[in-house]
Amino acid sequence: MPEAAPVLPADAADGWVAPTWDQVVREHSARVYRLAYRLSGNQQDAEDLTQETFVRVFRSLADFSPGTFEGWLHRITTNLFLDMVRRRQRIRFDALPEDTERLPGSAPSPEQVYADTHLDPQVQAALDALSPEFRVAVVLCDIEGLTYEEIAATLGIKLGTVRSRIHRGRVQLREALAHLAPRRPAAAEEVIR
Amino acid sequence: MSIPESHLAQEAIAALVDGELSGGAANRAARHLTGCTQCRLAVQAQREAKAALQRDADVAVPGALLSRLNAIPFTADVSGGGLGGLSAAAGGLTAGSWAIPLAPPEPPARPGHARWLRRGMTGALAGLGLGVAVLAVGLPAAERTKDVPPPGSVAGAVRETLPTERTDVVPPVVRTINAVTALPPGGPN
Repeated sequence: MPEAAPVLPADAADGWVAPTWDQVVREHSARVYRLAYRLSGNQQDAEDLTQETFVRVFRSLADFSPGTFEGWLHRITTNLFLDMVRRRQRIRFDALPEDTERLPGSAPSPEQVYADTHLDPQVQAALDALSPEFRVAVVLCDIEGLTYEEIAATLGIKLGTVRSRIHRGRVQLREALAHLAPRRPAAAEEVIR
Repeated sequence: MSIPESHLAQEAIAALVDGELSGGAANRAARHLTGCTQCRLAVQAQREAKAALQRDADVAVPGALLSRLNAIPFTADVSGGGLGGLSAAAGGLTAGSWAIPLAPPEPPARPGHARWLRRGMTGALAGLGLGVAVLAVGLPAAERTKDVPPPGSVAGAVRETLPTERTDVVPPVVRTINAVTALPPGGPN
């Protein structure tokens, strides 16, 4: 593939060079796809979310100013994910019979999940079991490494809500993964409650 | 004071693990933890959950997805989007201070295909127009109102069409062209 050179010269004011679309995709697709995968828990949804995120990015390039690209991508991806979840909850509520198609069984094997994502399938399953709001907060904090303030800005929620969602999300995650840490005495779980 | 009067707030426990407590609050929390097994275990549980997620490695983007992402400038439906500042230059599109090269991401497998398709679209539009005219003349008024939605709704539907949904539009277009131009047997298809 021929290397696409930037069309515009360096910005005279701050030396910032407008990246080409190729560069945007190359530099950010892995991060967006990983976030989409951790949130949705499966490859098909992760691909759809990633594609839609980049379509939005492309449509809004004109409004974008340098320096906030990662935050922008996080915001688009997480909002698309939450929209998707809410849409499906509505559909499920409206048409219960279709739910039968979504039963486990056609789910990919743990080996396949690991080959696709390089995340312990049990950890991904524990993530999937969290409510979407908790999952988004925990993933942005522990996988994406955002600060509480950045998470609050990304999700449009208060700092206290961020703290509480992260805490409760991790408690549930830890309970789901309890069998993975045999060194810990079972009594510890009681004490925590 | 040996027995703590109140435990750490749950929010404080998460914030402590993430280094999000201010200096004073962090010191108070550390003092409390030395004397409180319950809160120490809660902090430990938070750390373990965080660590489980941080064993995360990079994810490989599927090649087919990467190709689709690279092709977005050529496939995205921008007419309904917010690309108000988009302008075409000799070498590419510029949107604000951004440059989008117009070189296709991959050399097309069938060089003549795109031009053929474009010509086909033009022909198909003419064919569709003819078809609508024939319908308008040939059908009774009641059926016409049922089959042909008002122009406004047609425009709306087209604007909302997603790129992936366009494939649904192509087959009838291709059929129309085949019928109109009457390709010889054993032609391009």
